[in-house]
Amino acid sequence: MVRIKRPTRRGFVVGCSAAIAGMAGTRFNNFAFGAPGSGHNEETLVTIFLRGGIDGLNVVMPLGGPDRGYYESARPDLKVPASGVEKAISLDGVFGLHPSAAQWLHPLYQDGRLSVVLAAGLDEANRSHFDAQEYMDRGTPGNRTTATGWLARHLASADNLPAEIVMPALSVGNTQATSLLGDRDTINLNDPDSYNLEIGPWRWRDAQRMALRHMYGGDNTWLHTSGLQALDGMDLIELNTTGAYTPANGATYPNNSFGDAMQVVAQMVKLDLGLRVASLDLGGWDTHNGQGDGSGGYFAGQLGTLAEGMAALYTDLDGSGAADYSQRLTVVVQSEFGRRLYQNADRGTDHGHGNMMMVLSGSANGGVHGTWPGLAPGQLFDSADLAVTTDFRQVLSEILIRRMGNNHLGFVFPGYSNYSPLGLVSGADMEPDYSADGTGIFADDFETGEFGRWSAITG
Amino acid sequence: MRLPGAQVMQPKALPEPPSAAVIAFNRMGFGPRPGDIAAFNALGSNDVDRLTAYVDQQISPGSIDDSACDARISAAGFTTLNKSQAQLWQDHVEADVSWSERIRPFYEIERMAFLRGVHSKRQLVEVLTDFWHNHFNIYGYDYWCAPLWVHYDRDVIRGNQLGNFREMLEAVAKSPCMLYYLDNYTSTNAGPNENWARELIELHTLGAKNYLGVMRQVDVPLDGTGKPVGYVDDDVFEATRCFTGWTFDFDTGLFEYRSDWHDHFQKTVLGSYMAPNQAALADGLDVLDAVAFHPATASHIAEKLCRRLISDDPPQTVVDAATAVFEAGQNDSDQLAQVVRTILLSEEFRTTWGEKIKRPFEVAVSAMRAAGAEFSFSIDESETDSYLWRYDQAGQPLFSWRAPNGYPDVKEDWQSATPRVHLWRMCNWLVDVEDDSDNFLLDVVDQTPAHVRTANELVDFWIDRALGRAMPAAERSELVEFMAQGHNPTYDLPIDSDFDTQERLRSLVSLIFMSPSFLWR
Repeated sequence: MVRIKRPTRRGFVVGCSAAIAGMAGTRFNNFAFGAPGSGHNEETLVTIFLRGGIDGLNVVMPLGGPDRGYYESARPDLKVPASGVEKAISLDGVFGLHPSAAQWLHPLYQDGRLSVVLAAGLDEANRSHFDAQEYMDRGTPGNRTTATGWLARHLASADNLPAEIVMPALSVGNTQATSLLGDRDTINLNDPDSYNLEIGPWRWRDAQRMALRHMYGGDNTWLHTSGLQALDGMDLIELNTTGAYTPANGATYPNNSFGDAMQVVAQMVKLDLGLRVASLDLGGWDTHNGQGDGSGGYFAGQLGTLAEGMAALYTDLDGSGAADYSQRLTVVVQSEFGRRLYQNADRGTDHGHGNMMMVLSGSANGGVHGTWPGLAPGQLFDSADLAVTTDFRQVLSEILIRRMGNNHLGFVFPGYSNYSPLGLVSGADMEPDYSADGTGIFADDFETGEFGRWSAITG
Repeated sequence: MRLPGAQVMQPKALPEPPSAAVIAFNRMGFGPRPGDIAAFNALGSNDVDRLTAYVDQQISPGSIDDSACDARISAAGFTTLNKSQAQLWQDHVEADVSWSERIRPFYEIERMAFLRGVHSKRQLVEVLTDFWHNHFNIYGYDYWCAPLWVHYDRDVIRGNQLGNFREMLEAVAKSPCMLYYLDNYTSTNAGPNENWARELIELHTLGAKNYLGVMRQVDVPLDGTGKPVGYVDDDVFEATRCFTGWTFDFDTGLFEYRSDWHDHFQKTVLGSYMAPNQAALADGLDVLDAVAFHPATASHIAEKLCRRLISDDPPQTVVDAATAVFEAGQNDSDQLAQVVRTILLSEEFRTTWGEKIKRPFEVAVSAMRAAGAEFSFSIDESETDSYLWRYDQAGQPLFSWRAPNGYPDVKEDWQSATPRVHLWRMCNWLVDVEDDSDNFLLDVVDQTPAHVRTANELVDFWIDRALGRAMPAAERSELVEFMAQGHNPTYDLPIDSDFDTQERLRSLVSLIFMSPSFLWR
């Protein structure tokens, strides 16, 4: 049985106002990150979950052939045109990209930095937003109450990370992502500028913060741990952010909360705190109504936000030498399900099944991947939806193995068994380890003493 | 063996259960105000008697004198709370008013929820209103929902939450707010929209637990009474057809049935057959009957109420008891009151503690209850605006959850750092904010009695105000150390004369609101 150490932030930060204060003004750089060449995996995985079920058939759609005919007749108002000013931009001559996405992503596609998967999703159909999201976030289709998220299990089982990382995981938004459920070292924050206690009676702020640390450090319940996470996060932000953030390479993030969240990811990556996993959401895809005709309207705007944010993050992290973060960056975009082939009477689309996924990476292979199931009546799932030909876990597993160097698929995705790479990204292949048994997966030295806060998984 | 599905983040030990009074005020209310615990304890000679008496008061809110709270609501100067549904539409939609006037009913309900949470003696009503608003969640800022928000809060939620579930369901189904939010208002025979029908079954009644996925209706097993044990996608599509033509009149803001939009052919939903060409509305009403009276709905609602009132993972015994009462009372006009009473008088309610934590709304309101903050919550008070802005950042702005499932009700969704940090910020702001005349809205120093002057006394006085019970010694000692700042904690501190010490006392009270103990429910 493999013996795996998980990185801990706590080994460095715990108890630490004084320890951290002594380092004020310094960066943690190689100390925490594991310098290049150290043998540690240095990849950062960013997951973007599109809540509500994005209409993937209007992101990537057939440009010609019989399927173009089915597409156009099913979507008389919503179809993205194949010609004209607002036409879809061809990816490979067969499939096109919505112009709002192409505006930002097509140059990256042409550079081979964007891989598109055609018909991915849950192997077993579920048209409930909430079930389907839980299945994917927890990485356990069919079980919506698994106690840990798939990203938490990835961090717990990766055996190629340094023993200590200052900020292994980041969840941008108002709450910690379900995919990171159970990971106690995750920093959850929305806005770094307001992530502090610099408010209220000023004279006793430091003493108050120390008292809070002692109160939340005084017991070992999940409630106490979550309080310490907040305090640790404040320490890290305070020590490492100085002044306004300026994106590199002239990158411009969309002027909305998604743009802000993407910028926070870049900001945290560049602090060299060792960020390995970041999770964020973009909602607003449940377009039952008025999603916008052709290439315009609401959907186009929302898709533009997504694409602009992705391109900005990539541009911002693009560089050279050790600072070329984009080489170590993989962004994966997923949603709980696609939508019906047929538009509804409200010029929207109802819940469907198969959907596109996107992988943006400095180490991507580029291109269109996966098997297109077709749009003919006999080819549709349940006579209504794009079928699923690629299990979403196959896409994520390829990133885990080829980029993150973690082959413990049985632990990250219990019950998943037939992995093979689609060729979305470059990297070394490894034999998948499908054993779901976690025995021995955590080194004993992380289970005892004050670092043994992983009751999450170590029970 | 360690498996990823194993238990996660369970406390090693839960805090000791406090008295029934503390449990009652924290889980069927928003925390104790000064005097509440004593009044509760005067209701009987033991906890069971006291709790029974208190629950019976709370379950009959009309019997509780709430004039002081009513006076505050009057003083806030709200103008829309007494308008009928039709009047709201005339004044806030048809009159072609500004956005701020259009949305005024929403803002007034939002502020009223805070006022009542903080000041109403009918605490159970406020807890249940919050519960049912989330069960039948609507994004209240929606363009067509905000002007009618008084109607949705008053006529649909508050008007039915202690009444009959089937009647409540029909009120929801016919409210323009829900018809708009879940798109049924445009669902026609030519172009059905499944959004409402799906969430009606998945969220409002049977629950996703009983969703069998993509399967044919004939393949669904039957229960002992001949009903399908769960629902499939085809039930959703058939129910969608039943509700075609349920819409509202954009001139009046009232429910309207359009026979010309209705699919009149036969349908089958959950084993109920609807003959072709039924009378107006009959298909939809039949669906409401089928889902409201399905056994899975009884257990789904019972479990959710137990989750709100007792524990994130409520004991099956009390869920079963509540389910039985729900089913037996399905035609009673006080069915939901019976169910709630059963839960609150269960042994499980009385003996469970620490299986839930306060969410941001509960933190915000309970802190204000404990400390007597004087916000008017009127529309034009700038401090109220500032307070709500800070509150909203903690992640639970009222009536603002976008998806139809409502805010989550379990701790795993509220243990994140972001809401924690913003709640802490809100507490620090709360003890420091002054009005235009430089008066504190929550005057910690003024509220501290003259005989309470040592660090020990100050800490214990404010712990009692905030918690209504003692705090674990280790946690309390940190507060004492903070307040004493190196001085002997039995010596008087210069609260009356020294500004720095006054500031420290304000920070202390905030610190108590930020403590782990303040979060347990």
